[in-house]
Amino acid sequence: MTTPARIGAIGRTALVHLTLGGYCLLVLGPILLVILNSFKTRAGIFDAPLALPTHDTLSVAGYARVLGDAAMGRMFLNSFVVTGLSLALILLLGAMAAWALTEYRFFGNRLLALFLAFGIMVPIRLGSVAILQEMVALDLVNTLTALVLVYIAQGLPLAVMILSEFVAQVPQELKDAARCDGVGEFRIFFQVVLPLIRPAVATVAVFTMVPIWNDLWFPLILAPSEQTQTVTLGVQQFVGQFATDWNAVLAALSLAVLPILVLYAVFSRQLIRGITAGAVK
Amino acid sequence: MKQKAGWPAIVFLAPALIVYTAFSAWPLLATLRLGLYATDDAGHVAFAGLANFHKLLFDEHWWGAFRNAMVNNVEFFAIHTLVQNPVALLLAALLSLRGVRGAPAYRTVLFLPTLLSVVIIGFAWQLILSPLWGVTEKLMGLVGLADHFGPWLGQEDTALPTIALISVWQFVGVPLMLIYAALIAIPEEVVEAAQVEGAGPWRIFWRIRLPLILPTLGLVNILTFVGNFNAFDLVYAVKGALAGPNFASDLLGTLFYRTFFGYQSEVGSATMGAALATLMFFVILAGVGLYFFVIQRRLQRVAG
Amino acid sequence: MSTVRLSHVSKSYGNNPVLHDIDLEIADGELVVLVGPSGCGKSTLLRMICGLEPITAGELRIDDRVVNDLPPAQRGIAMVFQSYALYPHMTVRGNMAFGLQIAGASRADREARILAAAKALHIDHLLDRRPRELSGGQRQRVAIGRAIVRQPKLFLFDEPLSNLDAALRVKTRIELARLHRELAATMVYVTHDQVEAMTLGDRIVVMHEGRIQQAGSPLELYEHPANRFVATFIGSPTINLVPATTQACSAAGIRVEVHAGCVVDAPIDGSALAPGQRVELGIRPEHLSVADGAGADVRECLRFGGEVTLIEQLGESHLVYVRCADGLELVARAPGHTRLRIGDRIGLEAGPKALHVFDAQGQACRRTAAG
Repeated sequence: MTTPARIGAIGRTALVHLTLGGYCLLVLGPILLVILNSFKTRAGIFDAPLALPTHDTLSVAGYARVLGDAAMGRMFLNSFVVTGLSLALILLLGAMAAWALTEYRFFGNRLLALFLAFGIMVPIRLGSVAILQEMVALDLVNTLTALVLVYIAQGLPLAVMILSEFVAQVPQELKDAARCDGVGEFRIFFQVVLPLIRPAVATVAVFTMVPIWNDLWFPLILAPSEQTQTVTLGVQQFVGQFATDWNAVLAALSLAVLPILVLYAVFSRQLIRGITAGAVK
Repeated sequence: MKQKAGWPAIVFLAPALIVYTAFSAWPLLATLRLGLYATDDAGHVAFAGLANFHKLLFDEHWWGAFRNAMVNNVEFFAIHTLVQNPVALLLAALLSLRGVRGAPAYRTVLFLPTLLSVVIIGFAWQLILSPLWGVTEKLMGLVGLADHFGPWLGQEDTALPTIALISVWQFVGVPLMLIYAALIAIPEEVVEAAQVEGAGPWRIFWRIRLPLILPTLGLVNILTFVGNFNAFDLVYAVKGALAGPNFASDLLGTLFYRTFFGYQSEVGSATMGAALATLMFFVILAGVGLYFFVIQRRLQRVAG
Repeated sequence: MSTVRLSHVSKSYGNNPVLHDIDLEIADGELVVLVGPSGCGKSTLLRMICGLEPITAGELRIDDRVVNDLPPAQRGIAMVFQSYALYPHMTVRGNMAFGLQIAGASRADREARILAAAKALHIDHLLDRRPRELSGGQRQRVAIGRAIVRQPKLFLFDEPLSNLDAALRVKTRIELARLHRELAATMVYVTHDQVEAMTLGDRIVVMHEGRIQQAGSPLELYEHPANRFVATFIGSPTINLVPATTQACSAAGIRVEVHAGCVVDAPIDGSALAPGQRVELGIRPEHLSVADGAGADVRECLRFGGEVTLIEQLGESHLVYVRCADGLELVARAPGHTRLRIGDRIGLEAGPKALHVFDAQGQACRRTAAG
């Protein structure tokens, strides 16, 4: 039954999908372009950039060159270590701090919460001069440790804020019951509270992990040496050096993007659930 | 009901506080303090009061660079506010409509650019916009606009807006997610009540949905502000530390980097860098303060 | 005001049917209550009448006009939602004015109507407040006011009292009844509470698993339930159900055996039954009286013996819970002056006229004229 109302509704739906789909094309286009062209020969890349790799132009020479380069492997390792360690510690320390701030009454509780929240609004980079001086003094320049410490400091404020929302939602009865049973505070935290805030963990993980993996600034300033380069910094330098070796450059970029895409695919549903559950308020 | 704090509370809170204070709060304070010192040519550091700030604001060379970067940052912010946030609002509004098929898929895809590093984004877009590779020119030719194509990234007056738009492309995902979360938090029955009263989709958007998400829109704006005035990565990836052509794409972030790290022949000055960082800090503080004390409260009141 | 007619209306979500072949007519000015347990489809049906859910099959007429494809605003209806659904960012006045503004009413007209409705609902002193500053009861009245000002042909209520506390619920129930009388409006009201249904409804529609079990006046449903479900749903405490076997059946009456030696004649039309069939007898607690042992003819009266396990004292009456030797558990309502204790062995009896008989499919057997 095509009444005027129905036609209007169909038209509206079409417009919605057109807009959303159109923007999706804008989003995927550049990414696909890079990935597709990374599988082509140089000639293929130049002559027909928009074309798919054909039988003639298909080539994995770029990947071979990049993967053969030992430096790439080391950069990936560095990125994984830094991101993974930072994330784990941000989650642990952040959850503990969120728990302490929401659960316990003590002088300066609100002040400390505000102190931490300040870090969300004020970029940590502004203090870079002093951070570098600190690292020099601690002899941590060009170490992954320096990066991890800075990233923890960077990621804690937002993590504590998001986790606090979730910790506050843990039912009071559970905590009371545990305390009545004589369970110690540490056990309550690790065995009762922590498992209950799992949805928040995915949200915090994505919001924290991505800026760390993709960061250019601190690796550049604190750990630019070859041994400690992260993937992001390394590829950036690589691109600068090998600007004309398109295959290799495109291959390197495609590889650099892969871990994040994989993790995102794994976490995306949890992320949405975390966000919509009120993590971001 | 809050528990009384014992030493477990301290154990829980201490590690986070220590790391945060040591590597975020204290360095910031130290930088503010360092800005009051000057380095002479021999490398000695001595207290100099407001001399650095004086230099930054009144020395022709410094002021020129600072003003240029500041103006660029404002332009950068303006483009984000005028393009990124309305686009995010539109996409979030469409996504949150009931019965949009494939919404989860759209959501996933739209958030993708935010996950990518500036390296790939910078490179990909440079490639796409490059006159040599001709992708953009070809696409524009398809809609008959081939004449309007230009090497935008290389031209002084278009370099910054182009980079800003690339940045918008990258970061739409964040306000999109925030606004989306706010929109779906609106109880469905409230929207239905409006429908029963005869409100069409437009009216529902303008008079029901929009007012209820105003606090989130305010938050998005302030996050955009902070993020923009902190921007560095994309410009560095696309244009390098010199932010050419001829500093046309120089932002406070790149200026800061050059100042305290040094570039090419000029030696970096930690103290001048610190002074610059201090100025940036106050600009951001002013913006955030304005937002919190003036705008956000009003928005909360309107949204009920 | 208006009439509503549903003809063969059904609803499915994809392959999942939730409403089957609903036929219902609502007369002008009637207050019809849709009642049933969670998931029975009553809210879905209400939303279909409103226009918030599409109708999969069948016809919905309002005032003899087919409205299946009309958007809610054009059906002349107003709905009060369970959560009240007030616009959080508008004042009470704004909430009530919204619909009128859309309809293009003049400012003077709007103000007049809002004031009149607000006075009638005693919320005229709240017009400049925001919903978050109001109590639950006040919000509910604003929701009703919002509906009234639009002067709709049909009012729809979706469990409006379920978010109120018990005392307020009773008070508001009375006010709603008064409102119905004053406005003389056609109302469709959804609830899961059978007491609300019985007290408010001109007619009650009992629903279960997407079908109408029975539609009728409160008394009709109470005295002549169409099936086992309606019998157990209406009436508190729940009707007693006793398994029995038919011994003799005729159109004039049947004889059933409850347990060895306990046989009774009931004025039930047994033409659809055969001897030896298992049936269920329904006896309401208020029809079970404590036996005085006067030794009446066993064929005249159904008698049970057992031990008192619990007594709930309500003041004007007691609820006496009895367990019989064969495990049968019965509830009887005894007058308040009855003195009984837990453990007492008592007899309960019910006259044959109070018996409801349900066949193996749960359908009620009709009473004969004598019953």
